[in-house]
Amino acid sequence: MIRRLAWVEWKRVMRTPLAWVMLAVSLCLLSWQFLGTLEAFVGMQTGDRILGLTHHLGLQLFGLAAVVLFIITPILTMRVFSEAFRSGTYTLLSSSAISVSDILLGKFFGILLLQLPFVLMPAGLSLTLTTGTTLDLGLIAAATLGLILLSVLYTAIGLYLSILSENPAVAAAGAYGLSLLLSLLDQHTASGGFLHWLAWPSHYLNLQMGLVHSGDIAYFLLLMLFFLGLSYQRLDQRRCG
Amino acid sequence: MSTLLNAKQLQRSFHSRLVVEPLDLQLSTGDILGLLGPNGAGKSTIMRMLCGDLAPSGGTVEIGGDDLLQQPLPCKRRIGFLPERPPLHHDQTVDEYLTDCAYLRGMDRSACKTARLQSKQQCGLESVGSRLIRKLSKGYQQRVGLAQAIIHDPQVVILDEPTDGLDPAQIRQVRELIRSLAETRGVILSSHILPEIQATCNRVVILQDGRTVYSGDLSTPASPCYRIGLEQDPDEVLIAALSPVTSVEHLHTDYFRVTLKTGANPSELSRLILEKGWGLIELTPETLSLEQRYLQATTGGES
Repeated sequence: MIRRLAWVEWKRVMRTPLAWVMLAVSLCLLSWQFLGTLEAFVGMQTGDRILGLTHHLGLQLFGLAAVVLFIITPILTMRVFSEAFRSGTYTLLSSSAISVSDILLGKFFGILLLQLPFVLMPAGLSLTLTTGTTLDLGLIAAATLGLILLSVLYTAIGLYLSILSENPAVAAAGAYGLSLLLSLLDQHTASGGFLHWLAWPSHYLNLQMGLVHSGDIAYFLLLMLFFLGLSYQRLDQRRCG
Repeated sequence: MSTLLNAKQLQRSFHSRLVVEPLDLQLSTGDILGLLGPNGAGKSTIMRMLCGDLAPSGGTVEIGGDDLLQQPLPCKRRIGFLPERPPLHHDQTVDEYLTDCAYLRGMDRSACKTARLQSKQQCGLESVGSRLIRKLSKGYQQRVGLAQAIIHDPQVVILDEPTDGLDPAQIRQVRELIRSLAETRGVILSSHILPEIQATCNRVVILQDGRTVYSGDLSTPASPCYRIGLEQDPDEVLIAALSPVTSVEHLHTDYFRVTLKTGANPSELSRLILEKGWGLIELTPETLSLEQRYLQATTGGES
């Protein structure tokens, strides 16, 4: 049932112009960044090239991709539950033979499916260079894994905020605020402390640089589970009142 | 007839305020049960509990022999629900929406298409399959809501205000559809419109402030009411004092409506009237119309 719900969710959004406009804009931005990075790298003197081209792409192209994900995810998630509550379409699911956890996971994977092109776009652009040069494919794979984990985290946050409010704009504002807070927590906090650990940039940076630490993967998955758990609890509470 | 739905002592509180007092409901194949009551009486809350959208604070609901709380998924497969506001995705066409509904109810692709065509035909939607839902009239949107409720061929169909916003011709069509659905299923519908319930249902539950004030069959008199005419004009109190009588209502001049105690015999009443020498002119069993029952129930006293 999760697969069916995810598929229906994906189809519903893909029928709207919103998904296509966001895809087109993202492709333009990332292509611009890709070409800019490439041009800057080619223009460098050999002695100035401390990092390889793949590292430059990892930092700049995948860095911008993280910003794009930050912007598009709340737009995709804000309507998922809040509008369903407001328009009454949530009843369609809650009165069908679908459990609360399946509803939540179905919507969650539906949004992830929508984000898949955004997440794979930087890797796709980078791989166009393989005909002319040798790239560190492991680094690109690690950075793509980082983007996937980031989209998983943003989606879990966005869905939770969407459950909290029946107003999509409020849900989006909340998701932006919380995501931004998680990106700023490592500033002005003691390195090695819990709040510092709670910020995602350092975890994502490792993956951007091709360093796959199980601790970083665990960080994203733990936070995802935390927000999905909160979402489940709110949905169940809604039924019980 | 098999019992499709059995609710026992179903109740619901919101923030420690009891909004639905303990309620018993049974539904069998062929039944069209109407929930009648003014706005805010608890009809929608009861319906949401019956379809599993809202957990009851107490009591049980069995659907097809399974407990809705213990085994929600098999129970919900047997239920089709149309909420007060049809759960429509306005940016989809009717075909897309109904296909998604069938798919989410576990049907495979070919079954989805068959179910979609069947429900469209039942609800008179053949001509609007490719139109966007938001561009349909309210009547058509209501029919799309009905179509999604029956697309998976449920045994129990729960309809919250199904004729709300429809024109008279559409109301007649929906009534016919409900009757045809009830031939092989059980239907529960709610309304605050008396003629709606009277025209469609064979049983009724009247609600007032979350309390069941009347529950019974519409086709037979549930209350032992008699209209009596007397030559003399005795005081109401004297008639009420007769042993088989529970209440008396003065209709006009020498005519009264008398309600007898449960199990009391009207022959006993006539014997006592003759003994008193009041001169019995008329003693007619009176079937309360739904309107009388509704007014009796909602303006004080149980019928």
